[in-house]
Amino acid sequence: MGCARIRYCSWALPFLFYSSLPRSVKWRKKQGLVEGGHSMASEEESTVKEPLDLIRLSLDERIYVKLRSDRELRGKLHISIRVWESYGGYHVVNHGGNVFPRGLLSNLLWLKWAYDQHLNMILGDVEEIITTVEIDDETYEEIVRTTKRTVPFLFVRGDGVILVSPPLRTA
Amino acid sequence: MSTGGGEKGSGGGGSVKTPADFLKSIRGRPVVVKLNSGVDYRGILACLDGYMNIAMEQTEEYVNGQLKNKYGDAFIRGNNVLYISTSKRTLAEGA
Repeated sequence: MGCARIRYCSWALPFLFYSSLPRSVKWRKKQGLVEGGHSMASEEESTVKEPLDLIRLSLDERIYVKLRSDRELRGKLHISIRVWESYGGYHVVNHGGNVFPRGLLSNLLWLKWAYDQHLNMILGDVEEIITTVEIDDETYEEIVRTTKRTVPFLFVRGDGVILVSPPLRTA
Repeated sequence: MSTGGGEKGSGGGGSVKTPADFLKSIRGRPVVVKLNSGVDYRGILACLDGYMNIAMEQTEEYVNGQLKNKYGDAFIRGNNVLYISTSKRTLAEGA
């Protein structure tokens, strides 16, 4: 089971794979998530089997992340894969260390992800919203402030993540 | 050998023997998830795993009993979860 070569794919390469898929396939798979409720009913490959599968279907989309310390992020989930060749096929490994057997190249889209089991993730074009509540000493009224900042590229450590959600879609 | 009975909901299920069985039995049901921070999430449980990572649909976020946010789909990291409970909530909005 020797590996002929290990190639480290840059961030850009997975997007090339993504764009080479027939548009109908991408859209069909996204439909499984957009329609919500029982995506298990649609095609097998987009079945949500584990909670992490839900994030897998969010790739290449903007997501909303709620963090500890009253912080929120909205950003684009980045994907990274390591691909190596073996016997003319490909093994795909995400940076969390999970290995998948070689398959059709089109399956790469749904096998690669930007997070690992800790929910460390990499986001691009991120808007961070920090919410603080100040209490006026005299009037005892709560002043809710939100601070925003934008970060082009951000690594999020998983232990700070509370909730991840795709953005609400306007029907 | 069976551990805490606190996780076993009385949601009308059959014989629930272990917490693992409970987790398997509540998929697809409306649940209440309370986090360590006190925030409440109500929604339909899509799935969960042994770390108590949760995927939910039609999720509503309640802070201090007040509805704050709604998420179409939500993934909650398991270490924040205090408990998962079934609820007999009636779906106010069509699923």
